[in-house]
This record gives sequence, C-alpha cells and structure tokens, in this order.
Amino acid sequence: MRLENCWFCSSTIYPGHGIQFVRNDAKIFRFCRSKCHKNFKMKRNPRKVKWTKAYRRLHGKDMTQDSTFEFERKRNRPERYDRNLTEDTLKAIKKIDKVRVDRAARHHAQRMKPKRAKELKEAERELQQSISMIKAPAVQIQEPSLTLPKTKVKVSPQQAEDNRMEE
Amino acid sequence: MAASSASKWFRAGRSLLAGLSENGLQRMSHDMGCSDALCQQERTFIQMRTNLKVVDNSGAKRVMCIQALKGKKGARLGDTIVASVKEAQPGGKVKKGAVVYGVVVRAAMQRGRCDGSEVKFDDNAVVLVNKQGEPIGTRVFGPVPHELRKKKHVKILSLAENIA
Repeated sequence: MRLENCWFCSSTIYPGHGIQFVRNDAKIFRFCRSKCHKNFKMKRNPRKVKWTKAYRRLHGKDMTQDSTFEFERKRNRPERYDRNLTEDTLKAIKKIDKVRVDRAARHHAQRMKPKRAKELKEAERELQQSISMIKAPAVQIQEPSLTLPKTKVKVSPQQAEDNRMEE
Repeated sequence: MAASSASKWFRAGRSLLAGLSENGLQRMSHDMGCSDALCQQERTFIQMRTNLKVVDNSGAKRVMCIQALKGKKGARLGDTIVASVKEAQPGGKVKKGAVVYGVVVRAAMQRGRCDGSEVKFDDNAVVLVNKQGEPIGTRVFGPVPHELRKKKHVKILSLAENIA
C-alpha cells in the first residue's frame, strides 16, 4: 500500500479513493477525487488554479523549502520489517508533522504581518479624512477633544518657494 | 457469417459513441466552449462494432469487435474478444477481413482494482492472440495493465515495454 499525491491538488490519495489515468506515453496521473479529474480533463493548469498546492507554493503562499519535506521523499526500496524501526518511524512521523505544521503557521504569520501595520495606517487616514461622517464640523470647533491634534509639518524654504511657484 | 453478425441488433447512440471514442476525445477537446456537462463522455464497454487499435506487430492496424467472450454487456480491460480485421499492413501475418481473437490491453472505460482505485487509459487497444491465448505478434507497444497477470496473459506482459 502506498500513499500517492494527487496530480492536480497535491493532496494525499488514500487507498480506495480516486482514479488513475494512464496516458499512452505511460505517464500515470493520479487524482484524489472527481473534482481534480474533471479539472484535468478540462486541461486546466494546476499552477493557475487558486486552490491547489501547486499554485500556493508557486505564489509563495505556502512554505516551499523546509527540512521537514526531506523526510517524505519517495523511496522505492522496500524495507525489511523491523518492529522497533516501525515504532520509531510512527513516533517520528507524529513529531515531524507537528514541526511542519508549526513552521507553516509561522510562515503564514510572517506573511500576514504587514497587514496589521497597513490596517492601522488606513484607519488613521480614515479618521483624519472622514470624521465629518460621524461628527458635525460645528461641534468639532467647540470641543477640541473631538478633533485630532494638529501636527506641525516642517516645510523647507525650497519647498515653500516651489509651492508659491505652482500657484 | 460476417453478414449475419452485422445484421444482428445494432444499438445506436451510446454504442456508437463508445465505438468512436478515439475520435470522440479529439472532438471533445475542440468544443470546450460548449457546456462542460456535454463534454465529459460516459465510457462504456467494448461491444460489437467497437473499433480498436492494434498495438502489436501482427500486421493488423484496426480491428472491429464482433463478439465479447464473457460479459453480457461487453468486454472490459483484460478480456478477450473476437474481432474482424478492418485495416491491415500489406505484408503482415493477418490480412484484412480475417476473424481473430484479441485481448483488450487498454480501455477508455475505468476498471476497478482490488485496492479500491480505478484505472483508465487514453484509448481502446487490443493485442491479437490465437485460440490458445498466445500473442500472434512479437512486440507490444504502449503501456499495458497489471490486470493481464491475473488473466494469465503472461506472454503479453513480458513483451510489453511499460506495465501501468
């Protein structure tokens, strides 16, 4: 029994699932479900279909290079059965999975970091520009706490002259 | 004998589609603009009037199925059929119009494997054999499935270049 990867979406194909298509040049395409199979028949390129692993790896959404991937290489030599080895392997698989998931989560967090700064900046801009949507301007003049503090912007004499030139 | 078999029931529609499955695939890829529901073909058995490609060097090129031995609805991957040679190479072992036996080595209809998965090939192909099941030709082209081993067509497997 061997767990293969779907050609289209790269998910694992467990026994009893999926269809194998053998092309006349003897290349075998394995699909995990009919969704992937139908997309293949439509001649879609998995690198362009957003929900596939191929697209995500290509566009940097998911981790590409990591040492945990080295453990999952395809091995064609059958191993002699050894109970201890099997036990150790099963324990190792669990641990490697945990490490891989943690690293993938970290990669995702790293990817989403600039989003927070961007959100804050946009919120500040919105507050400056569209405060009149909430509070009337007349009220703002009376109560200074409702407006943002005025910030002083230093204008160099060169810049001031340019502005005058523009006008 | 050929005339009587031709005058038997001739199912239109699906059987014709199955017979023209080789052309059908090309036609499918052209009209991708139309609805996808129509474009996905329902692959069926190999039955009377099905055209098959011959993938050995016995001399025949195209063969038309006359009878699927075993199987009420038709032959599948790994089954034997009786066929009539429709197109042959000039200096081959079999001539046009001969009635031969063949083993289906590639079928566009999916066949279930014992591990629960399904295999399907790109086209319908056959290897000509004699009454005893030994191949007439000496070479087999293209991939062949594992299923032949269970059906005891070991000779064909040994001649094959790729086993799918």
